[in-house]
Amino acid sequence: MQLQCDVGPRGPHEAGFRTGNGMAEFVSGISILCFAASYAVALVCEASRPVFRSGLRGAAMIGFAIAGLVAHTLFLVWRGLNESTAPLSSPFDWYLLAAWVLAAGSLWLTLANPRTPVGLFILPVVLALVGAATLASREPFLQSPASRVWGRIHGSFNLAASVAVAVGAAAGLMWLIQAGRLARKRPPLRGFRMPSLERLAHLTHRSLAVAAWTAAAGFASGIVLNAVNRRHGLLETVPWTDPVVLRMGVVVAWLIAADALGHAARRRPDGGRITAWLSLVSLGVLALSILWGLLGRSQHGVPRHAAAVTGEAMP
Amino acid sequence: MTLALVGGTHRTVPLDLRERLAFSAEQAADALARFRARFPGREGVLLSTCNRVEFYAASERDAVPAEDDILAFLAECRGLEVTQLAPVLARRRDDAVVRHLFSVAAGLDSMVLGEPQILAQVKQAWALAQESRTAGPLTGEMFQAALRTAKRVATETALGRERVSIPSVAVSDFAAGVFERFDDKRVLLVGAGKMAAETLRYLREAGARDVTVVNRTAGRAVELAARLGARPGRFDELAAELAAADLVVSTTGAAVPVVTTELFAQAEAARGGRPLVVLDLAVPRDFDPRINGRPGVWLYSIDDLAAACDANRERRRGELPAARAIVDEETHRFMGDLHHRSTAPVIERLRAGWSETGESELDRLFRRLPQLGEAERAEIRQAFERYAAKLLHPPLASLRSESRSGPPHGLLDALKRLFDLND
Repeated sequence: MQLQCDVGPRGPHEAGFRTGNGMAEFVSGISILCFAASYAVALVCEASRPVFRSGLRGAAMIGFAIAGLVAHTLFLVWRGLNESTAPLSSPFDWYLLAAWVLAAGSLWLTLANPRTPVGLFILPVVLALVGAATLASREPFLQSPASRVWGRIHGSFNLAASVAVAVGAAAGLMWLIQAGRLARKRPPLRGFRMPSLERLAHLTHRSLAVAAWTAAAGFASGIVLNAVNRRHGLLETVPWTDPVVLRMGVVVAWLIAADALGHAARRRPDGGRITAWLSLVSLGVLALSILWGLLGRSQHGVPRHAAAVTGEAMP
Repeated sequence: MTLALVGGTHRTVPLDLRERLAFSAEQAADALARFRARFPGREGVLLSTCNRVEFYAASERDAVPAEDDILAFLAECRGLEVTQLAPVLARRRDDAVVRHLFSVAAGLDSMVLGEPQILAQVKQAWALAQESRTAGPLTGEMFQAALRTAKRVATETALGRERVSIPSVAVSDFAAGVFERFDDKRVLLVGAGKMAAETLRYLREAGARDVTVVNRTAGRAVELAARLGARPGRFDELAAELAAADLVVSTTGAAVPVVTTELFAQAEAARGGRPLVVLDLAVPRDFDPRINGRPGVWLYSIDDLAAACDANRERRRGELPAARAIVDEETHRFMGDLHHRSTAPVIERLRAGWSETGESELDRLFRRLPQLGEAERAEIRQAFERYAAKLLHPPLASLRSESRSGPPHGLLDALKRLFDLND
């Protein structure tokens, strides 16, 4: 696993960054380990809520989360400038951008709801995505001007779906914990005040719906992208039996089914619980799909005539 | 400079005597006016609540009234015998007074540990003393420090955060755990038990507007609804009311459950899967306990809520050492400042003496050296002042350091004798 960022100042913007001051040197020295470690410390601070109730703990948690997010942002910006890569142009960048969106959302929710341990549920997903990025290919997908637009649409929808699944799973897990406490008739654990079941159920429903529709849109845009690539002769045609297509198909089918099931369960007294479990299973399905992508072989995003292909992961 | 306190609380004064000893606002104002006349130049604050009557006296220059005099004064104000009060009222002086006031303001001495109402009562007592012109700089600083201590305890510990009354726990820890908001929820009150009105007060604070009251006696339901600003419902339509409700507070005096599993099943079919929170505050219970197992139903009996209250009380008790440490720290700081202030007259005399000597020496020097210009004279004067300040620094620093552990009588006497500082 390569943790040190190896993006040296090689691109056309190198001179501009380097001539100003030592800032370029500083930014180029930021590694994945920097922000992953910051997020990990923030997670430890969040998990220690019942033990350390001092305001210092909260300040440390937010401080490390902000430090991680700043380093993460600079890393992505530096990579974009020096590798001339758009944020979604390789599996590596895709995972890091998904992690960035979740980390930013987690920080925002923590600031808005300081008594709710949001980070405890989101930061592990952020760290998992950063970990997946270290295993994923850094090679940009080959794109023509025509396929670049569709590539970004495809990547953006998949990113939105993954973020929605993660948010929904966090809300679903919180629902189950809160419901467990209420069923056991125990007062809230100090420092771990969860949002109400009503709010969590609403968030879980919304997230499942957003995940289903964006995943479907991502899949459809992938089909269009495939057709565009084939027409321009840029990439190998991705067959319907390709592992990426299969696993994305499974994910999309599951998310649509989960959304439909969740919708049907809304008028049931145990609808909240059903939706919470559906959201958790959705995260499991997505995680398996990512794992499958990391370990499997695919024609996805591979140049024409490059028969032996990488074990990349198109999310 | 001394502080004195005479007072009693629910722990030491029996209820009947506490009732006779308590002061209304008018009586307290009258008592403070009498105190001002009886002990001119002294400061006094009277704190009277349903659980305590305490008189704080202080004086910066003169001797503070003796505790026996304050006790006799209180007895006289309330038409009681000194012999009745003497065994039950505590007497404190100096740092014990400060520590006690800080503990009281922080809710550490309250019947319900950490309850916040006492802080408002302390503020009111201080405001009344100001109006009655018995407040002064010493009590002013002491009460300001008490408010600061209470704020620290509230923010740095979780003492006041845990709810400990059954209605407040029911609403904040359980109902609010299910529902995000109450302004769009329908509340049903079944019966007219003692805790119904208080629970409804918390629900109203949380935003509840749509409230229906049903009672086995229809007339009583109408009367209750009018009193609570709610809508009366019919007891014989309880199943329909249950179907429409989101939250039920039940407090009837019925000997058997008024909501059986059969009745609830009728309501459940019409609920459309909406969750239902039931706060069954009746003894014996109004809801059949088997209803608790139904999906989407969150049923809490009074025993469940009492257990949660006990757990919260335990948590509050766990915060006590941290709260006491804050009180001790603030008391120590306040007394240190107070003791240091008591050294001010000696320091002033010392500085004045040195300044006077310095000025006379400078005058002599400048007469001998008339050729010195204004700039040179200013330089020499500044050098003298710096020299005096540097010489004074070590004894003054020792004085400040000594003040932290008590009145620095020894050092003050030594300074007076060494530098001939007579009163």
